[in-house]
Parts: sequence; structure tokens; C-alpha cells
Amino acid sequence: MLYVTNIVVTLPNGKRLVNQVSFSVGRGEFVAILGSSGAGKSLTLRCIVGLTKPSEGEIALMGPSGKTYRTTNVKAQELRRARRHIGLIFQGSNLVKRLTVLENVMLGRLGHISPMRSWLLGFKDSEAREAMVALDRVKMAPFAARLAGSLSGGEMQRVSIARAMHQRPLVYLADEPISSLDPKNADAIMSILQPLSLETPVVGAFHQPAAVAKYCTRALGIRNGKIVYDGPAQISPRQLEYIYGESNSDLPFVDSETKSELYEEVTV
Amino acid sequence: MEATSKEFIQQEPSVLDKKFLDWKFLEWKRSIAGQRWKQAAIATLLALLIAFSAWRCNVDLRSFVLGIDKGIPLVGMFFPPDLSSLTSMLQPLAVTVVMAMAATILGMCLSLPCALAASSNLAPPFLRLAMRAFIALERGLPEIVQLLLLIAIFGLGVVPGLVALSFSSIGMLAKLLADGIEEIEPQMLESVAGTGATRSQVIRYAVIPQILPSLFANGLFRFEFNIRAGVMLGAVGAGGIGYVMRTSMNAMDYQKACVAVILTLILVFTIERVSDFFRTRILSGGLLR
Repeated sequence: MLYVTNIVVTLPNGKRLVNQVSFSVGRGEFVAILGSSGAGKSLTLRCIVGLTKPSEGEIALMGPSGKTYRTTNVKAQELRRARRHIGLIFQGSNLVKRLTVLENVMLGRLGHISPMRSWLLGFKDSEAREAMVALDRVKMAPFAARLAGSLSGGEMQRVSIARAMHQRPLVYLADEPISSLDPKNADAIMSILQPLSLETPVVGAFHQPAAVAKYCTRALGIRNGKIVYDGPAQISPRQLEYIYGESNSDLPFVDSETKSELYEEVTV
Repeated sequence: MEATSKEFIQQEPSVLDKKFLDWKFLEWKRSIAGQRWKQAAIATLLALLIAFSAWRCNVDLRSFVLGIDKGIPLVGMFFPPDLSSLTSMLQPLAVTVVMAMAATILGMCLSLPCALAASSNLAPPFLRLAMRAFIALERGLPEIVQLLLLIAIFGLGVVPGLVALSFSSIGMLAKLLADGIEEIEPQMLESVAGTGATRSQVIRYAVIPQILPSLFANGLFRFEFNIRAGVMLGAVGAGGIGYVMRTSMNAMDYQKACVAVILTLILVFTIERVSDFFRTRILSGGLLR
């Protein structure tokens, strides 16, 4: 179970980017977070894994044995221990491009390996074989020896999922896992994540309501840092409009009234 | 009726839009005019600077022309090269190569920790600042100045040359590497740190693999430079082929000096070819994976 309780992220100028966000995710759930760019989706995910420190609120992760891991208000070592149990799937370019595909998958287990061994010996063959199994689950085993930098976007995304799987986490966090992919690849990634969520809950930020409706079990709508929707993944058009708000309001846009003001300055 | 894209671009802008476009056009025109003026000012300034420095330094074209007159017979004295001295020069030549090689390897090894400490995405600000200051100081002192200081400490010979070249190799390589480390995408580091890895593990598995090719490619480049710089430092007192060149010039044994010059040329060309060969393979990812 993942518990997110009243987290707040505040800018130095006092503006709240994430405002009192609370939700919990349990077994068998595939939760999609929807919202326009800058609404606070990614920031919420970053808070969960402790890459951004929320100014208020608590985040806790509970294992099946009842052991609890926190990523808020903890020391670096405890944070690292909690991170071992969170499988991160970023959008696109998060693999180490100069390492092989299989090495990238093995990075998922770094939290369980002492830094001393990392420097002196590296990974064990048994770990490599385990990683190979994870790679096979996302159908990337034939690419094991390739450099990660030589893969296509969809392939990288699969390897990124394999790395998270190899970690055997308590929850998966996916930050826009299909945003940079074509529809076919996006579909393929979603049909990997969906069965995964039956064993371990998946929380993802998405921009594709149609894909969310097809694969997810639940959706959260975030607008201006606040949760405005929490319900089934099949969202009605009216609810969607509410989540995303009126469009274009914050794009630079010169209307004709402003223009007439501008040219008057010159003619004087 | 829907407008096609062709019609769209041919549409006349409205009166309001036209005035807006005119206004923007004038603004652009003004900024261009300002640049022309600036260019002319800079050109004039440069011309004045050259004239002023020529006047202050008493540059005399006559001595230059007279020098050419004297120089032409001198060039003749270099030929034919005294090939009997060839064998005696192989040893100092080897000294120059070994000095450059050792300095490059030392520089590469030591520049890695320096670069890690000098990059903003890994090191705390005060450490980064201190390390950047050290690198800047190191790069600010020409090799020859460093050598003169080191000769005062170690005396004449290969040792001060080796140390001077090592230090300036660290200066250059650490700066290039640190800049390379700062260009690593933060998401890459975060995603490794996000698995619960320690900072040292992030360095081992995300930073080092990404910068290793650049370390070796730049190291090879630095090796070429160290050969040429080593010859020059040799002439000042760091031994090797440069020293032979200078002593035979001082003894007016120009035919012997000629052999040293030819050997140096051959050496530099060879090293350049070899390092080019490896560098292209490292950067294309064939070597070093």
C-alpha cells in the first residue's frame, strides 16, 4: 500500500504547486494521474520517491509484512532504503546510454548492493541471469548486449520497465511512460504495465485519457496542484473538461485589442 | 468555403495587422542598424590597437627585412643533416616520448577525481568552487612558467618537466571532464539514485560510463600536445630531444640540430596519426564499447 497524505510543495514565493494532495493506492490498482502540463502530476510522483522534498505532508509505503518505509522527513540512508521498494519508470531518456541494456536492468538492484562491491567487483552472474528474466518479460532479451543509447524510444521505455521490475518494488511509479511514443508503442507499453499492476500497484502520470480508460482501474485528476477528480478511469467529457480547465489561458497570445495599443505608441 | 494552405499564405493581412507588422519590421531594422554601427566601432578599435602597440613596441620593419637577408644563408647551414648523430639522438627522443606519456597517464588518473569534485551536479558548492579555482589557476599558468618554478625546486632534468606537464594535463582534462559531467542529463542520475543507490554508486554506474570515452579521447589529444610541449620544455631544461636541439644550436652545430628537428617532426606526425586512429574508434563507440 502507498499512502500519500496532504502533501504540499511550495515555491519560495509562496505559490503552492502541489496543494494538499492525498490518496492511497492498494493491491491490484493501476492508477492514472491526469492533468494539464504544470498541474503537479510529475511533482507528486517526484515527492513520492523523494527526489523533491514536499514542504508539508507524509508519504509512506507499507510492505505485505506490515513494515513501513517513509520518504518524507527521513535521513538519506532511510530514504535510500525506501527507494529500493519503489520502481521508477521515467519518460524516455533515463537509461545510462553508455551501459549495455542488461547492465541498465541490473541497476535496479543497486540499493541492495554495497557500494564497495559496486566499485571492486561489479554485478554477479546470478544477478545478470535474474535481470535477463526481467528483460524477457518485456520482450527485450535479444537486445541484452546492445548499448542502451542505440535503442529507439519504445525500446528504451521497455528496458526502463524491466529495470523497475528487476527491483521487485512494492509500487511502480511511471512518469508519462507513453508520452513520447507512437500509438502502437504506447499500446504495447500499456499492455505490459496493466498485467504488472495485478501483482504490484502502478501509479502513472498520463496525457492520454483514451489509453487510461482502456487500461487503468482508477484515475486522479489534478488541477492547479489540487485533486479535483478521484474515480473510475472512464471519465466523462464534462469531467475531463473540468480537470483540464479552459485551454490556452496561459499561452502568450496577442489579441487585436492589445495590438492596436501597441501600434499607437509608434505612430505618435 | 475552406481556405487551403496556399490561399492562407496569400491572404492580405488586415489594416490592423499590417500596422503591427510594419511596427515590428521597423523595430527589427533599428536593431540591425545598431549592430552595423557596433561592428564598425569594433573594427576601428582593433586597427587603433594594432597601430598603438606597433608604435609603443618600436616595431621596425627594417630589422625584419634585414633579418630575412641574414636568415637565408643560415638555413643553408642546416643542410646536409649530420646523419652520424642519429643514433645518439634516439635515447633523448625516447625520453621526450616517455615523459609525455607518463604525464598524460598521471594527468588522466588525477583529473577524474578533480573533475568529480568540480562538477555542480555532484559536488557541494564550496568544494566545486575550490576545485574550479584550482583548475583555473593551473590553466592560467603556462607550462613554461610552471617548469621554471619547478626547476627551482627539483633542479634541471626530466622530473620538473614531467611534473609540469602532469599538472597542466590535470588542468585541461579536469575542466573538460567536469563540463562533460555537468552536461549529463539530470534524469539519468535521478533514475539511478531513485533505485536506492548511494552517491558513489551513481558515480560508478551513471557518471563514469558516460564520461569514460571523453576522458580517453581528450587524453589522447593531450598526449599529442604533451609531446610538442615536452620538446619545448626540453629546450628550457627538461631534457629530451628539445635539450639536444638547443645545445647543438648553441654550439652552432646546425647540421646536428637539423636531425633533431627532422626527428621531432616525424615523431609528432606519427603520434598524431596514431592518436587520431584510436580517438575516432573511441568516439564512435567501437573501442571502450
